[in-house]
Amino acid sequence: MNAPVRFQSLTVSGLGISSGDTTIVRDVAFTLAQGRPVTLLGASGSGKSLVAHAIMGSLPAGLVAHGAIKLDDEDLLATSFERTRARWGRTIAILPQEPWLALDPTMRIAGQVGEVHRYLHGRGSAEAQTCMRADLTEVGLGNRTQAYPHELSGGMCQRAAIAVTHAAGACLVIADEPTKGLDAALRDSVVERLRQEVDQGRLLLTITHDIEVAAALGGMIGVMLDGALVEFGPAAEVLERPRHDYARTLIAADPARWAAPALPPPGEAVAAARGLSKRFGERTLFDGLDIAVRRGEIVAIVGPSGCGKTTIGNILLGLVTPDRGEVQRAPDIAQIRFQKLYQDPPAAFAPHQALRQGLGDLLKLHGLPWSQAEASMGRFGLGQELLDRRPNEVSGGELQRFAILRALLLDPVFLFADEATSRLDPVSQKQVFAILVEAVRARGLGLLMVTHEVALAEKLASRILRLPN
Amino acid sequence: MSIADATLVPIARHSWLTPSRAAGLALLGLLALFALLGPLLVSVDPTEQDFAASLTPPGSDYLLGADHYGRSMLARLAYGAQLSFGMALLTVATAALPGILLGLLAAWRGGLLERALELVSAVLLALPGLLLVLILLAFAPGTFGPLYLGLALTLWIEFYRVTRVTAAGVLKQPHVEATRLLGFKTGYILRNLVLPEIRPILITLAAFAMSTAIIAISTLSAISVGLRPPTPELGAMIVELLPYYAEAPLHVLMPGILIFLLVLGLQLATRSDLR
Repeated sequence: MNAPVRFQSLTVSGLGISSGDTTIVRDVAFTLAQGRPVTLLGASGSGKSLVAHAIMGSLPAGLVAHGAIKLDDEDLLATSFERTRARWGRTIAILPQEPWLALDPTMRIAGQVGEVHRYLHGRGSAEAQTCMRADLTEVGLGNRTQAYPHELSGGMCQRAAIAVTHAAGACLVIADEPTKGLDAALRDSVVERLRQEVDQGRLLLTITHDIEVAAALGGMIGVMLDGALVEFGPAAEVLERPRHDYARTLIAADPARWAAPALPPPGEAVAAARGLSKRFGERTLFDGLDIAVRRGEIVAIVGPSGCGKTTIGNILLGLVTPDRGEVQRAPDIAQIRFQKLYQDPPAAFAPHQALRQGLGDLLKLHGLPWSQAEASMGRFGLGQELLDRRPNEVSGGELQRFAILRALLLDPVFLFADEATSRLDPVSQKQVFAILVEAVRARGLGLLMVTHEVALAEKLASRILRLPN
Repeated sequence: MSIADATLVPIARHSWLTPSRAAGLALLGLLALFALLGPLLVSVDPTEQDFAASLTPPGSDYLLGADHYGRSMLARLAYGAQLSFGMALLTVATAALPGILLGLLAAWRGGLLERALELVSAVLLALPGLLLVLILLAFAPGTFGPLYLGLALTLWIEFYRVTRVTAAGVLKQPHVEATRLLGFKTGYILRNLVLPEIRPILITLAAFAMSTAIIAISTLSAISVGLRPPTPELGAMIVELLPYYAEAPLHVLMPGILIFLLVLGLQLATRSDLR
C-alpha cells in the first residue's frame, strides 16, 4: 500500500460558475475536513454536479469557475491545466456514476487495478501484483480478482472502482451519485464503504439526491437549489431542523414521511396472470406466480435487483412471453391503453427527436388535439420551452412527467411503472407519484409499480408482491 | 463523463459545416463541375488524334498537354472524370439501396429470413470482390454492364451488414418498445427512429464505397479487363501513358491526381466530428 499524501481540508469559498453572461452557480462556500465529509443534496439541475466538476477541474467547455477552491494551501482554480490534469486520479478522484459502465468490460478487475501500480507508479510486475491484491482485499474483493466487471454486482463494481482510486493514491474522493440504480442492500454496502474511506483519513465529497445516504454518511450536509447553497450545517441538525423552505420540502419528500393515498375501492381486473413461470438460461426467476391488477388500485412488486420484477410487468403488457402460465388482459380494451414508464427517462425517448416532434406525431396518429396536450403540460408543471429540446437536454424529473403525460393522453387502464422514480430526486419523485396517484383515483387507472424501495411501496400500494432473490 | 446537471449546461449546437467538411464539399463541387461541364466546354473530341502533338507538355496549344496519340489530355480527363465518377455513383446507389433495405428487413424480422440473407452475404463475401467482377466480365468483356453489376454485387454486402447490426441494436432499445406501445407502426419506427441513428455511419460507408468503386474501376481498366481503349477512363489512361513516364511524367500522374482528389474530397466531406 502506498500511503497517499495526506491533505487536511478542502475549502471552497465564493465559488461561482458561469457560461458567458449567465451565472449558473453562485456563492457556494463550504469546508471539508478529515473525518468530516460533506454531502450535497439537491434536485438534478441544482448545480451540485457542476460544483464537483469545478473542484475536479473538468467543467464542460464553455463554463468558467471563479472564486477559490483550496486544497490545504493550494488554490485549485489558479493552477494551469497541466497541473490540474496531473492531479486527476493521483490527488483527486471522482467515483463514476454507474461504475459497471465505467470499468473496462474486456479486462479482469485485477488488471484494471494492477495497471495503475504498473504504469502510473512505475512499479515492477510482481510488486504491482502484490499491491493490486492488497487493494482489492481491502475493499473485500480479494477472492474475486479474476472476475470481469459483468460478473460482479453493482455494489462490487463500485468497490472495484474505489480500489482503482486507492491504487492511484487519491486522497480527495468525489462520489457523484454513488448509489444511483442500486437497491437498498447494495446501497447500504456502498455507503458503509464510503464511511470507511472517511475513517482512513480521506476527504470525501458526496453528491446525491438520496436523503438516507446523506443521513448515513453524517458529517456536513449542504442543500443546493438553483445554483446556490441554501443550507449548510451538521447532518443531524439539517435533517431534523431544516431552516430553508426548499430544504424542508426536500426532506419532507423522503417517502418514509409521505401521507398514504386514500383510494376508492378497486374495480374489475384489467390485467391478470396465473401460474406464471419464467427461466433465463439456467436460472428460474419465478414459478407458479399469480398476480392481478384491478382498476383504481396500486399494486407494487418489491425485491432485490435481478429477481425478475420487470419481467412480470412485461409479461402482463405482452412484451415477454412466459414459459408457462396464462395471461388475461381485459377484453374489448385497445392494446394502446396498456402503457409503461421506464426507469431511465431519456431511454424512453428517441434521442435525436425534439420532444415537440414525438408528441406531435403521437397526437396526429391518434387524432388528438394539441390543446389537450398543452392543458396537461400546464397541469404537470411542464413549460412550453421544453418542447424544443431533445430528451438529454431535459432534467430526469421533467422528462418522466412528460412520459406520464404521453401515456395518459392515450387514456390507459393499466400502467406499468418500472422503477419509474429510482433515478429522480425526492422532490421530483413526489411530484411524479402525486400525478400517478391522481390518475389512479380520477381515471380508475390500474398501476403496477416495480421498485426496490420498500418504504415507497409500503406507503403507496394497495397490495405488495414480495419476490425473494 | 456525464454531467447530472444536464439542463444547466448550455447547449452547444455544433455547426454541421466543420472546416474539413466545407473543404471536402468545395473539392467535390469543383470536381463535379469539371466532370459535368468539362465535356460540354471542351469542344475537342477526346479520341481525336494528332500525332504531331504527341506528348506535348501542358501549356502551349493543349492546356494540359496531349498524350502519346496527340489526344487532348484536358478533354480525356474531363470525359474520364464523368465516366468514372458517374459509374461509381451509380454503382454505390445500386448497392446501397438493396443493402440498406435488406439490412432493415433482416434486423426487423429476424428468423429464417435473416439467416438466409446472412448465408447469401457470407457466400458472396467469401468470393474476392474483383474475382466476382472478372467472372461476370467474362460474359461480356469490355462493357459497362457486367463491371457495374459485379461491383454492386460486392458492395451491397457492406451496407447490408452494417445496417443489420446497427439497426438491430437500435431496435432493442427501450425507446423503440415505448414507441410501439404508444401505437406506432413499423414504418414510422424504421423511418423516424432507426434511420436517423444509422444515417451518419451509412454516409461514411457510402463515401468509402465510392472510393472503392472508383479505384476498382480504374484498377480493372488498368489490367485491361475493364473498359477498352479508346474510351477515356482514368485507370486505362494511366496504363496507356505508363510507358512514356520518362518523357512525360506529369501526364501519367494527372489521372491519378484526379482520382486522389475525388477520394480525398469524399473522405473530408463525410468525416465525423471528433468528440
